[in-house]
Amino acid sequence: MLRTAKPRTAKGKRIQLAKEPQLIETTKQALFIRGTTTSQLVSSALKNLYQLKRPDGILFSKRNEVRPFEDPRPLEFFADKNDAAILVVASHSKKRPHNLVIARTFDNQVMDMVELGIEGGVSMEEFKGQKAAIGHRPLLLFHGDAFESHEDLRTVRSLFMDLYRGDATADLVNLSGLEHVISITAVGGTEGNKRIHMRVFTVHLKKSGTKLPRVELEEMGPSIDFVLRRYRLADKETWKMATKVPKQVKEKKEKNIEFDDIGDKFGRVHMGKQDLGKLQTRKMKGLKRAATDDEGDDAGEAVGSGKRQRAEDEE
Amino acid sequence: MDVTEQLQALKDKYKSVEVEVPVPFEFDLGNLTAFDSNGLDERRIKNETNNYLKDLARDGTQLLLNQIFALPTKSSTDGVFAELPEPTTVLPRAKPLPKPKLQTRWEKFAKAKGIQKRKKGRMVYDEQADDYKPRWGYNRANDNQDDWIIEVPDTADPMEDQYEKRRDEKKERVEKNKKQARRNLEERSAVEAGKNPKEVRKAQLEKAIVESKTSTASLGRFDKKLQNEDVVKIKRSKRKFEATTIDASKEAESAMNIAKKVLKAGDSKVINVSKAVKQVAGQASAEMLGHKGKKRKSK
Repeated sequence: MLRTAKPRTAKGKRIQLAKEPQLIETTKQALFIRGTTTSQLVSSALKNLYQLKRPDGILFSKRNEVRPFEDPRPLEFFADKNDAAILVVASHSKKRPHNLVIARTFDNQVMDMVELGIEGGVSMEEFKGQKAAIGHRPLLLFHGDAFESHEDLRTVRSLFMDLYRGDATADLVNLSGLEHVISITAVGGTEGNKRIHMRVFTVHLKKSGTKLPRVELEEMGPSIDFVLRRYRLADKETWKMATKVPKQVKEKKEKNIEFDDIGDKFGRVHMGKQDLGKLQTRKMKGLKRAATDDEGDDAGEAVGSGKRQRAEDEE
Repeated sequence: MDVTEQLQALKDKYKSVEVEVPVPFEFDLGNLTAFDSNGLDERRIKNETNNYLKDLARDGTQLLLNQIFALPTKSSTDGVFAELPEPTTVLPRAKPLPKPKLQTRWEKFAKAKGIQKRKKGRMVYDEQADDYKPRWGYNRANDNQDDWIIEVPDTADPMEDQYEKRRDEKKERVEKNKKQARRNLEERSAVEAGKNPKEVRKAQLEKAIVESKTSTASLGRFDKKLQNEDVVKIKRSKRKFEATTIDASKEAESAMNIAKKVLKAGDSKVINVSKAVKQVAGQASAEMLGHKGKKRKSK
């Protein structure tokens, strides 16, 4: 944890407030970090991944000594300081060449991470043609039954989705803004042989003679082939904490409302017990009480007699 | 030409928007995502990876966009917008749920009485200045502190300084507000620590009483007692003196202990315990993680 001092300015206070847990969270910020040594391949991949994430990412320009699987604390420090929840770390060593680690934090603690080795790739710059504009939400495609059957690959899917899904609180999307698609395909295999192919395409909508457009794709890059290396899954407790849905957001089930097959709405209403004594009947002049003081006397007598009785009882 | 034939001809002119897949896709339209759980063609993914992946992506995108274009739309000057449903995939939050803030005494009271906050404008009309001035702060509106003349009430002491009186009253109000804010803070911190705020306050007062009583030279022996005042027992540690005659070996040992400590300090090998504990704890957690990773790899 970073030491939090009491803010001295209104601006500082606003910044600190924005860092506090929010009820409804928007896009997760991501950090793209280069380790002490990187290869050309892995750093260009890191840059491209950052370009896809813009404007919700920060690409660190300096190298940092981070080894997420050995010691996650430097990562946690960066996450806390930059208020980011996803960290992508590039490194290159003899033992693990062209290495990319995607880590996700919860409450500024690393929750889960996967290590992907890059086996081959073509960077975004090498593809000619139009690129998608910054800030547009991509379409996401996940191919392969391996995503369902392997827990580690499921984490990979979850991480990629978290990284690129954009602002999921937005309930509207501009149909002409759906410009690119990120397709991620998993090929299962034995440990150390699980492969993930990432391809990014721009979408071209063509006439089809119907209301729906015909889709044609053009590769815009990057195109990266990963092999899954080490991974760390989230422990159950943390995952449970992290996926809690706030009470205020949960939809309340409306009681006593039903719909029949046609779609007509039926409601059951509880009326409470009707007090017939207070029932307003028709008013007539002749039935009005003559004098009010008369009534008051009656009441006074009744109360008085009651008191007297009680007094007698006590004696 | 028949109408159906014409339609067919029109259709043939364009490529189809329909895609056939053995296992239907799952969609999470709130996240603009499609999940394809069909098995892959192993021969194609090995031999013509790029083409196969592009074909897969095209079909997937077509299916996903068919779903998105079928959603209800809203149009504005910026274009046509599709109304997305809520996301269905469970993805973790970045931070835990915010803890409910404890209410202040006023907030509690207002809730009980049904008093609602009203938005007040910042600028208020000042009759004397015939202008709008800030509601509070420097140069505020309707400030009775800078009246140039104040009427002395009939009941008041004619020699009393009415200006001073107003100043004092204001000071008191400010003081009261600060006190209440402090009390709210104290109560909040007590509740957050899982204690009853009343008990905490009681303990504080009791401690203060003891301290004040022991602060006089006579330790409160000659203080004026109030009626029915509780007798506060003051516990003091008794001074202990070593016996004047003790075993020589014991005395030597204690002297040696002191000497050792002093010499060690000079040796600069004295361990900073709190720092050492932190280091060891950090190493342990790092080791644990490394161990986990190795285990998985050997599987």
